[in-house]
Amino acid sequence: MIDITIDNKKITVEEGTTILDAARKLNISIPTLCYRPTVEAYGACRLCVVDINDGKGTRMVTSCNYPIKSTLDINTKSTRVLKTRTMLLELMLSRWPNVNFIKRFAAQYGVTKPRFTHPRVDYSTNACILCGLCVSACSEIMWEDIIGFAGRGEDRRVVMPFEKHYDPCIGCSACANICPTGAIRLVDDPNHPADPQRIARYGTRVSNEVALLDHEQCRMREVGTAHLTEIMNDYDLLPTCNYKFGSHANAGQLASNVFYDNFFTKGVPDGCWLGCSMACAKAVENYQLKTGPYRGQKVLVDGPEYETVAGCGANIGIFNPEFVLECNFYCDTYGIDTISFGTATAFTMECYENGILNKNRTGGLELYFGNEQAAMELLHQMGSGKGFGVIVGQGIRRMKTYFAGTYDLNPEQIRFMQDIGMECKGLEYSEYVTKESLAMQGGYGLALKGAQHDEAWLIFMDMVNNQIPSFADKAEALHYFPMFRTWFGLVGLCKLPWNDIEPADNAETDEPAKVPKHVEGYVNYFSGMTGREIDKKELILMSERVYNFQRVFNFRLGFGTREHDRIPYRSAGPVTDEEYESRAERYDKQLLEKWHWDIKGKSTSQKREYLRKMREKDYQSLCDAVYKRRGWDENGVPTIAKIRELKIDFPDVVAILEKYYRKKPD
Amino acid sequence: MDKLIRVNDEPLPWEEKLNINRILELKNYTFKMLVIKVNGKLVKKDQYDKFFIPPGADIKVIHLISGG
Repeated sequence: MIDITIDNKKITVEEGTTILDAARKLNISIPTLCYRPTVEAYGACRLCVVDINDGKGTRMVTSCNYPIKSTLDINTKSTRVLKTRTMLLELMLSRWPNVNFIKRFAAQYGVTKPRFTHPRVDYSTNACILCGLCVSACSEIMWEDIIGFAGRGEDRRVVMPFEKHYDPCIGCSACANICPTGAIRLVDDPNHPADPQRIARYGTRVSNEVALLDHEQCRMREVGTAHLTEIMNDYDLLPTCNYKFGSHANAGQLASNVFYDNFFTKGVPDGCWLGCSMACAKAVENYQLKTGPYRGQKVLVDGPEYETVAGCGANIGIFNPEFVLECNFYCDTYGIDTISFGTATAFTMECYENGILNKNRTGGLELYFGNEQAAMELLHQMGSGKGFGVIVGQGIRRMKTYFAGTYDLNPEQIRFMQDIGMECKGLEYSEYVTKESLAMQGGYGLALKGAQHDEAWLIFMDMVNNQIPSFADKAEALHYFPMFRTWFGLVGLCKLPWNDIEPADNAETDEPAKVPKHVEGYVNYFSGMTGREIDKKELILMSERVYNFQRVFNFRLGFGTREHDRIPYRSAGPVTDEEYESRAERYDKQLLEKWHWDIKGKSTSQKREYLRKMREKDYQSLCDAVYKRRGWDENGVPTIAKIRELKIDFPDVVAILEKYYRKKPD
Repeated sequence: MDKLIRVNDEPLPWEEKLNINRILELKNYTFKMLVIKVNGKLVKKDQYDKFFIPPGADIKVIHLISGG
């Protein structure tokens, strides 16, 4: 910490703080023209000059980019400083006499009419004043270099390369939104929004938050969702060896900094969505493949993001980042989902280690956890439609049926497969351990498309925060979040800028988990785009209609009723004694405190079975509460009253649902 | 008798000069997007090392949601 004085007021600041920031903490006003906190200050306009004395003499510096490194005596209003600013403003006014805020600034310094006329005078009210904010926004916020400065002195100007239209510019409007004079405007928006200014206003807010806050929140711009690997490991949520455990001593080998330091291409837009300042889709260039049909070639790997790291790494007991990259590339090349590959392979590995599979059945693949060679060979077999890969490629649900019908398995082995086969409605689980979060078990089991977390990710709210203790609380969360998140799909917007970046004051809002200011933003995007005014309740209502339609589609495809919302027990609790014992203190405590069950003298198996009974009962109670909150009957069927309320009681919808009502509706 | 505090409804022994950063360390709360309230009052991030927890305090370390 360093003690300084500014205009005779004392303040202690951290080393590196700029003079401008220190002055603002003391409510001392210093004029700025080319400064914005969202881009790097470079002192172009020099209006923010101040005098500093470090004990060796006085000199003038630009305050916006001068980092404080030693004790300073700063004067922001010395005669020399005021004279310099006045001259600068007179020069600016002589060149851009009709730009409003230059006129206003100049008037504050007593300049209303310059003494001279600039040879390149521009009388436009929207003249470019060469502040360079547009160039900085393009380069620093968007990681593009579409525009830059050309020429020197009087000839200096902002241009695209060779002063021609440059195709890579997609009109993201970052330059136009930051331009203080309106010199840059978006003149052709093919989407024809009803109110482009409204969309820009709310969109710019999020871009500014990304620029200012992302580095201290999720680091999405640096590492994308891969930042979750170490977080999930710390909270015992990183699936390890087919979701048996939630953390591993070697997880650090897959941490985001490993990918950032050694692999990720940095500082370029990701191509996921041009113009998105979050730019969280990462890529690895020039990765040399070690296996498969492209062995030896250098390729671009699109990723990895968290799910791929967890699924193609920890969950199959492999902690080698290059293996994850190889898997990522070949899954993409073969058109195989990395989550389904990881989760299905983890299932086969646990089956292999428990005698359900063996070398004869896998065609020679030794599929124990951590066997990189076997896992990669399996992926190539899946991609080429050969060998054991043909069976695994059909997914866990069909594998369970195939193994039970083809091999000589006893009932315990078949039950074991049901318990550890991490799928629901035929879709493989994504990569989170849900054993300690009943709400998240519902997040997976009650998701309409199958075991995916994109309807609701409630583990922190439930397991860590203890915010939603009752069944009704959990059901409310399992109503609101799926409805809200479904809306992203309806309008074709990405979910990540909703809550992977948050406003600086989000903590001070009533419901920070919902990120109210961003919900307000989405309401405004919708109205700004369509011209139809809505509010946040209508946003949920739009989703609720579609969500109930999707449930109807579940019925049409044979998945609608309660039994299809069942989850494998591995999702709810420890299947094996090994798992129970690995977290024995936690489970013992729950048996004693939550269910008041005397554990004295009980074996691990007895405790595990009792825990299972209680947790399975809880899951069914959760389903009851969620069905009720969603307006569905006890079998998970939307009631006639609900579909009437949503105005989707079309005859063919009613005809489908009527087949499933156990009791005739009133 | 040890004095206790409660963090997300779970008991934790109170100690002298217990600040927010120490609580995060003790609970291994490494996630960055947190809302922290002590006895219902918001504690901002720049106060995490300066705000000392009184005995008996009820602390909510609300982890927000991200990812996926």
